[in-house]
Amino acid sequence: MQRLIVSAIVIIGCRPAEVSYPALARDCSPTRIGKVTVLGAPVADVAPLAVLEGTFDDQERTARVTEVATELLQVRGYPRAHIDVKRHEACGIELAVNVDRGPRFRITQLGFQTDDRFPEDERVAAVADALGTVNAVGGAYVEDRMDRALTALTRRYHESGWIDAKIGRPVTTYDENRGSVAVVVPIEPGPRYRIGAIHAHGGGVASRSIAINALGIRGGDWYDASQVKTGIDRARRRLDRRIELRIDVAPDHKTIDIEARLGEIQ
Amino acid sequence: MRALVVVGLAACGAPASYLGAETPSACTSSDPERCASALAERDLIAGELDAYDDASLRSYVQSISDRLARTSRLARPPHVVISNHDGTYAPFGNAIVIGRVTIEKLGSEAELAAVIAHEMAHIEGHHATVSLFGPNADKQWLATRRDAEGIADERAIALLELSGYSPSAMPRALQAELDADDDEHPPRADRIARVAALASNRSGFEGREELLHQVDHMVVGRDTRLGIAVGKAWVIANLGLAIELPYEDDARSRGDGLVLRHGDAELTAYAIGAPWARELASQLERRETSEGPLGRVTVGIARERTRRASEPLERLEDAVRATLPQPVPGESVVIIERCLETVDSNQCGGLVIELDDRDGAYPKKRWLGMLRDATPRELRLAQPARIVLATATRGGRIERLAAACPNPAVALTLDDPARQVAPGEPFKCTDR
Repeated sequence: MQRLIVSAIVIIGCRPAEVSYPALARDCSPTRIGKVTVLGAPVADVAPLAVLEGTFDDQERTARVTEVATELLQVRGYPRAHIDVKRHEACGIELAVNVDRGPRFRITQLGFQTDDRFPEDERVAAVADALGTVNAVGGAYVEDRMDRALTALTRRYHESGWIDAKIGRPVTTYDENRGSVAVVVPIEPGPRYRIGAIHAHGGGVASRSIAINALGIRGGDWYDASQVKTGIDRARRRLDRRIELRIDVAPDHKTIDIEARLGEIQ
Repeated sequence: MRALVVVGLAACGAPASYLGAETPSACTSSDPERCASALAERDLIAGELDAYDDASLRSYVQSISDRLARTSRLARPPHVVISNHDGTYAPFGNAIVIGRVTIEKLGSEAELAAVIAHEMAHIEGHHATVSLFGPNADKQWLATRRDAEGIADERAIALLELSGYSPSAMPRALQAELDADDDEHPPRADRIARVAALASNRSGFEGREELLHQVDHMVVGRDTRLGIAVGKAWVIANLGLAIELPYEDDARSRGDGLVLRHGDAELTAYAIGAPWARELASQLERRETSEGPLGRVTVGIARERTRRASEPLERLEDAVRATLPQPVPGESVVIIERCLETVDSNQCGGLVIELDDRDGAYPKKRWLGMLRDATPRELRLAQPARIVLATATRGGRIERLAAACPNPAVALTLDDPARQVAPGEPFKCTDR
């Protein structure tokens, strides 16, 4: 204990002495926001608006910040949050921020309705946002972010060989009493395509053979756009040539033919 | 910028240790923002050798932050960390990282308060959170970022007023700190004009002598102890190491690091924190470790970081680690862990040497043979320049007074050249 007191004294003693100087008189200019009052929620919930105290009264900017503050509430689990900002003149312009957070919801279930073999953990990771606090189990459900994530997930399906895949709008079921939301994402994967024939054109026989080997893919493998791209890059490096990639989809056979066209030596 | 945010992170699943230190208690006590601040500070010290070690200066800057915080909407004053480089930011949580190089350009305590107040306004407004959770990273996102910067400038004026500091220090601070325009900030001229209009030449506490007294003997510019060419060697004084520079190689500095080229081969060397060096060394593939006069030397191949974090805090930890300096996967790497014991310090750290050498121009023996202890002379020559206060013998502007400094060009970067100094008042020079 004694050691604690001694260290506390040492710590306090090391701090520079506080000089006392008074606050400046308030500037009640009508171009400035003199005060921000928040009703209906803690100030921290609408921090982007609260910090406008003392700034220029820029109504367009305040409207934009109100949108941001509303979205911030949504990502914290208040999907029906609404913020109303009223201005009146006093010492400068005063803002009265009325917050209606609405009920809070957490995702308790997030599933994908499909029987395809796309890796489940990749699907879950593709829709999760903001370090797993949005659109993940335990986090908030934010619709527009889910829409963007599903667009990207559709692209991932296409690149993995499900080139006709379609992802529908998520079905959400809110439980008002429990504050929970269940999200089900319907996926129509369609057939998965395989690599068909692999050809090389241009250059000499040896170069074409090197190009095909460098591609590192075989007919009959599942189509994987990233693997094809890596293979083409490898072939370009190995041959030091410009190589164009052409792909032809054969819907009847559910295959994709790959053609490497060898160009000039670089 | 390290715009990492942890609002709403669950504390469960927190890693037991982070960069060689026990995970801070905030990480297990449902205080994720403070946890993240602690991780960020640990990064500067243990990851990058990037904390400026001056307790008196840190305490002074913290006292300014405390004063400003009392007038803010924050429940607790932000924790201030001084980094050894340029730039100031409020990465997340309740912390402000202020660059030593930022401080050296300022002319008064009020100007330093202005810089801190700007960052404090970002914390008050949860702007780092907005950057992550706000709109998508598109035009709208950029507009939101620009709004946040403008608001932080203007709110800083209010914090200065409430704390009794001179509001007119804000435009001066921006003038000193801002360089080129970018997409994430309003144009420099607009920012300065807006805060000048808000400050409307009102004065308060300025504190020029207070600041100057605190920065006396502070390192200036790049801290050359992290790496500098001395003769035909690259000297890392903080580690007491030297790398011989072969005459036939092309040697250049990149930041604090060294880049050596020989034909198509490239060797890169840079200093890092000891815990980060240990962690990187333990992850090398085909690694061989030996203890020698230079310290512990580990040779191996850098591998891809493949851990897939499932808990939010682990994801944050991974994201923070990804920003630390580290070798390119697949490259040959040497990591030297070493502690330099001198009379006044016991600095531990690591040196990473990466080798991109497909043709074998740098056989392992050759580059290991280039490493040795730095000589006392090299260590002396690798010391950085420092600020020393001079006294004006006659009144005049800094631009004229600086001519009497040992390095007038550097002295001119340390203050507003147009600032008027009265006879007998101090101004900043450097020691060489």
